[in-house]
Amino acid sequence: MRFRKVLVANRGEIALRVIRTCRELGIATATVYSDIDRLSPHVRAADEAYPIGGAAPRDSYLHIERIIAVAKRAGCDAIHPGYGFLSENADFADAVAAAGIAFVGPPGTVQRALGEKTSARRLAAAAGVPVAEGTMEPLRDEADARTVLERVGYPVLLKPAGGGGGKGMRIVRSAAELPAAWRAATGEATTAFGAPALLMERLIEHARHVEVQLLADAHGTVVWLGERDCSIQRRHQKLIEETPGPSVDDALRATLGAAAVTVASAAGYVNAGTVEFLVAPDGAFVFLEMNTRLQVEHPVTELVTGLDLVALQLRVAAGEPLPFGQPEVRRSGAAIELRITAEDPFAGFLPQAGRVDFVRDPSGPGIRLDSGLAVPLTIPTEYDPLLAKLIAWGPDRPAAIARARRAAREMIVAGLPTSLPFHSFVLAEPDFVAGRYDTDYVARHWDHPRTPEITEGAALATALAGLARLRAGPRPFVGDTTPWSRSAREDMLR
Amino acid sequence: MRYAVRAGDRELTIETTPEGRFLVGDRVVAADLAEAVPGRVWSVVVDGEAHEVAFLGDDRVWVDGDEVRIDIADERTVAAGRAGGRAASARQELRAPMPGLLKRVHVAEGSAVHEGDALVTLEAMKMENELRAAHAGTVARIAVAEGTTVEGGALLIVIRSE
Repeated sequence: MRFRKVLVANRGEIALRVIRTCRELGIATATVYSDIDRLSPHVRAADEAYPIGGAAPRDSYLHIERIIAVAKRAGCDAIHPGYGFLSENADFADAVAAAGIAFVGPPGTVQRALGEKTSARRLAAAAGVPVAEGTMEPLRDEADARTVLERVGYPVLLKPAGGGGGKGMRIVRSAAELPAAWRAATGEATTAFGAPALLMERLIEHARHVEVQLLADAHGTVVWLGERDCSIQRRHQKLIEETPGPSVDDALRATLGAAAVTVASAAGYVNAGTVEFLVAPDGAFVFLEMNTRLQVEHPVTELVTGLDLVALQLRVAAGEPLPFGQPEVRRSGAAIELRITAEDPFAGFLPQAGRVDFVRDPSGPGIRLDSGLAVPLTIPTEYDPLLAKLIAWGPDRPAAIARARRAAREMIVAGLPTSLPFHSFVLAEPDFVAGRYDTDYVARHWDHPRTPEITEGAALATALAGLARLRAGPRPFVGDTTPWSRSAREDMLR
Repeated sequence: MRYAVRAGDRELTIETTPEGRFLVGDRVVAADLAEAVPGRVWSVVVDGEAHEVAFLGDDRVWVDGDEVRIDIADERTVAAGRAGGRAASARQELRAPMPGLLKRVHVAEGSAVHEGDALVTLEAMKMENELRAAHAGTVARIAVAEGTTVEGGALLIVIRSE
């Protein structure tokens, strides 16, 4: 069996990513867009595009009935959910299947078992994979949390039981911190996952976040494709991912791979998935969660394995067996991904909204850019701040880092602050370059962000260009209300 | 006209001459400036040294891969700033850095705050962001009530320093 038309039920760079593979495979694509996404690149890239409602996710990209109605109307035989939105929503997977459409991801039953995080912890523990000390059922209330705290001890991590991705997680280091952490985590869990349930687990200090990419078909074959170190995070959300993990030796890699396959097999997993682990400085590891979808950082694995994970996802969803087994998986070189986000790294990575009015994409040897940017493009507050992913491959880690840094410094995004200055800093920072980092890296190295020192020549050029721009007067770049034209006018009034 | 320019952590005094030359300190600089992308990107060649400058918005500038701040003031502005710059620092305004929902206000009018204290929680992009006090002081005014949706740049709280 082979799909004729796939509905890409997402937006941004991941929608483009899926559309590209479909096009290579000769599969037609349809997509959906909210009211404020009419000019988003995915609408132009797809063969067909259908409006599905308002800007708020619940009115559009999270609206199960409307998305399925579009799939039926467009005659799609499969739906690819991308990541985020409905990608890990078991009810959606069930509804898609009930409509006679193939869901590109694991079935609802599997998503339910792994999506609720305490259920996933029970599953992993029962399969003999170590889990962090903590609750094996969702916490009832704050008083329940206090009781567990007394048993487990500080510090602990309070996190939503309803979903992953780092949203709503709070560290609690003392009894005094619990009420505020409980309030914030409950609020964010409700906003992000529609469920306030929380769980608690012992925080492993100085841990690395290492995850294993898997592929499983409906015929019982499960292969692991290697690990990714995703320890460079802010607010428990990833900013840089790389493979191989600089702290992972062959023995640990094999152990983690086997543990990941154990979890997937125990869950009856089908399609692409990722098992996340925390690895302590001494190499001891615990199961964190399993992400039942394609991940943001999947391209680093693609670059070292030469595989197209979306193509393989489609193949598995069509009921075909994986075309290779574990012995055929080969990894070559190193790859690193930078998540270019609409966040101000000089203001605590506060998300930014605004209008992008100039972009220069990096290019050249070993560079892949998965970008959702276009010019002009208004970046809304309603969705994830991820703008683009810059992925670099090199024959070894130093070469991949050199390429990533070179490309990050080539890239220009004008109109709103982005994470790029942070990435340029990290890629030249000695601890990162030496592979010495853990999940505390951002707090340790970027607590007081430093602006780069520039040469005298660069300062002079900047000053002269600034004066020339002042003299040239205000000139709207695109439209007439860009921040640029505003600031230019203000300059002229000084 | 003479300008005081700050680019990153370097300061330059530049005088523009009627012939289109630049006097940098006491050095005459012949610079070849070309506007590569209108209003955005400039190519600057000085004595064979090539630089690229992109204006990212507000006071942010990209130069040869680095992002720095730029501030340009002509002589009159510099003089005016020296005379009147003092009084404003006693008043601190907290403005919304982006549109969002003002989920919680953690302080009351008249309450004392320390540097780094959480003032409000602003929900945007599915994230709760705590906005903190940059300096110690007393809350003089709360401009927006909890539960209000605010625009980027909206005044939220005024703090008066002692």
